[in-house]
Amino acid sequence: MKSVRCLVTGAAFAAIAAGWSGAAVAQETITVWFTKGFYKGEDDALLAVVDKFQKATGVKVDLSLYSTEDCVTKSVGAVEAGTPPDVGFCTTYDFRTTGKWAFEGKLEDVSDVIEPLKTDIMPDALVGTLLMNDKTKKKAYYAFPVQQQMMHITYWKDMLEEAGFKESDIPKGWNGYWDFWCDKVQAGLRAKGKRIYAVGHPMGVAASDTFYSFLTFANAYGAQVVDENGKIILDQPANKAAMIEAVKSYANILQRGCTPPSSVNWLDPDNNVAFHNKTIAMTHNATISIASKHLDDMNNPALTQEQRDQAKKNYFDNIRTTQFPDKPDGKPLPNLAAVKTAVVFADGKNKKRGKEFMAFMMKDENLRPFVEGSLGRWLPTTKSGLASPFWTDGKDPHRALVYKQFSAGTIPFQFVYNYKFTAVNAENVWAKAVNRVVQDKVAPELAVDEMIARIKQIAG
Amino acid sequence: MAVPVSTPSDAVSGHTRDRALWGAIMLAPYVLVFAVMVVYPVAYGLWIGLNWNSYRALFADPIFLRTVFNTIVFLFIAVNLKFAIAMVLSGFFVAQRAWIRFVLVLFILPWAVPSIPTILSFRVMLNPETGMVNSQLFQWFGIVEGPGWLTDPTLAFACSIMVHIWKSLPFWTLILVTGRLAIAQDLYEAASVDGASKWQQFKFITWPSLATLYVTSTMLSMIWTLGDFNSVYLLTGGGPGDLNHVLATLGIRYMRNNNLDLGIASIIVAMPLILPMVYFMVKRLSKAAE
Repeated sequence: MKSVRCLVTGAAFAAIAAGWSGAAVAQETITVWFTKGFYKGEDDALLAVVDKFQKATGVKVDLSLYSTEDCVTKSVGAVEAGTPPDVGFCTTYDFRTTGKWAFEGKLEDVSDVIEPLKTDIMPDALVGTLLMNDKTKKKAYYAFPVQQQMMHITYWKDMLEEAGFKESDIPKGWNGYWDFWCDKVQAGLRAKGKRIYAVGHPMGVAASDTFYSFLTFANAYGAQVVDENGKIILDQPANKAAMIEAVKSYANILQRGCTPPSSVNWLDPDNNVAFHNKTIAMTHNATISIASKHLDDMNNPALTQEQRDQAKKNYFDNIRTTQFPDKPDGKPLPNLAAVKTAVVFADGKNKKRGKEFMAFMMKDENLRPFVEGSLGRWLPTTKSGLASPFWTDGKDPHRALVYKQFSAGTIPFQFVYNYKFTAVNAENVWAKAVNRVVQDKVAPELAVDEMIARIKQIAG
Repeated sequence: MAVPVSTPSDAVSGHTRDRALWGAIMLAPYVLVFAVMVVYPVAYGLWIGLNWNSYRALFADPIFLRTVFNTIVFLFIAVNLKFAIAMVLSGFFVAQRAWIRFVLVLFILPWAVPSIPTILSFRVMLNPETGMVNSQLFQWFGIVEGPGWLTDPTLAFACSIMVHIWKSLPFWTLILVTGRLAIAQDLYEAASVDGASKWQQFKFITWPSLATLYVTSTMLSMIWTLGDFNSVYLLTGGGPGDLNHVLATLGIRYMRNNNLDLGIASIIVAMPLILPMVYFMVKRLSKAAE
């Protein structure tokens, strides 16, 4: 009995001692959720930042990486449950949640971190992080502009040549450009007995590519949807008329049969897949991920030498990245840019340190390798980042074009001015209007009337 | 002073009490699991669904009424067609021949294999450009633009119904086969001797014997079909252009757009369809048990 008592007493002392020492050495921790990168370079750069931060501060970073869709879904659930991480960076936050969270007071005001960096951050990127908080009734910086994306056109040069054309044959004007691909390139390829479509034209309602592409068409026709105060102005006669033209133009590609019929059901990866399969000769895509896949392949040791050589040939010779044609009025098309935002959650357990982590991450020596690790898929948000040789040396044909396109200036999405447009985009009223025209055969005017009514219901 | 004396009725009631106590103890885990796994999620869903604004938003969504219409059409065609085919096939499979039993094994496969790969394989086969069906049409007949199996709203809806039937037909056929096997063969032999035709045998022997099973199975199938998410979502995603959603997929669409309230509301609006079916089915089963 005595030995049992001794054992229990000893165990109790041991437990108390372990608890005490545990408390004494407990390390401060922050929880960080990020989207997992497409390429190893992105993740390596992030891990390097984490490592440096841990060494500099002694704070442990509990980092979790999630796929694009899981990242935002998990974040939304955690915010609703009141258990968010300290820091979150998911590449679809801007499209879906940042503005809403800021409006509802779910985010920490990070103006004190952003203000000193303001001179280096590009103004257009900064606009996407200055957000309204309904609780304070004021705008403030509620997010960090980490990286950006933009719309590009990618085509197979070898398929263009197979159709009997040179790159110099491609018209610069809006209508001539689409006519060229639809009528000449596709006809040239079909004449060779190939069942190929000229254009990969995203039209699926569940694809963010569709609203990105459609809103680019809307910009081309000058259709203003909201003003800078977030007020809907699409119903003004000039804007409505421009939107009708945009719907007509977007629907026309399918109506004349030069995008694969399945594009009405496409999800985001489907135009990439169709391009890689050479089912289509060109497509428009947000980011240069299509070309970057071949850059990644050409350095992938898991592939055979022959496959790597082919990937290199594709990247440097066969695939071209270009910008959209000029607008129908002959002026250059403004580039719609989406700013990918990181946030510090108001309900985070260690938001003070979370803010410090993001301030550390936003330093040029940390942010630049992270952005450049994406092989050009994401663009910098800082002037110093854009000035790096990665973008300016002109050695990479795809990045050189992106740099040129980006340097011409960008414009933001509507949700920057009215966060409810995240819901408008999620419902994809744009794709629905186009589908009303091509599937239900209604007049574009009616489809746009319905579109405006629905936008007012959601975001008015 | 009176001494308490236990009577036989006390012993019986004590015994009954013990049995009741043990019964309650043995039942407790099941009640707990039922409460946690069934009562709580349903009650929580109903609680979330109590938001009146969700229903206003739901009815304001242009695709909602179309979805309700689609759901009713899907239910009507899928269930009736499935049972009509199952009834015919059950007459074939009830024949006791070795090769028919072998065919039956093959026939059951669509039901037995997992939904996701099989329905996705249909999606690949029916892809208008790269799918096997249109590629063969191109190779054999030079048809460049084959039918838009998944891109034409009507065809896509028909394909969803077809996939649903293909997937669940074996199960219901087997149910009807077992029903037919339970019918005494003497009745058919007697009818045959009396000169009854096959149709008359079906009309006066098979159908009356199977009617209860048929109707009960139909109602059960309606409930399951109403909740069939896979056939529509995996094949078309509710597309093209959100035109082919049914209630089961509409809820997921809302949840994917971070709109849990609307997702729950879209499922709760199916209750007026489900509850009468459950009621009639239970009532019918009770009657059959009597």
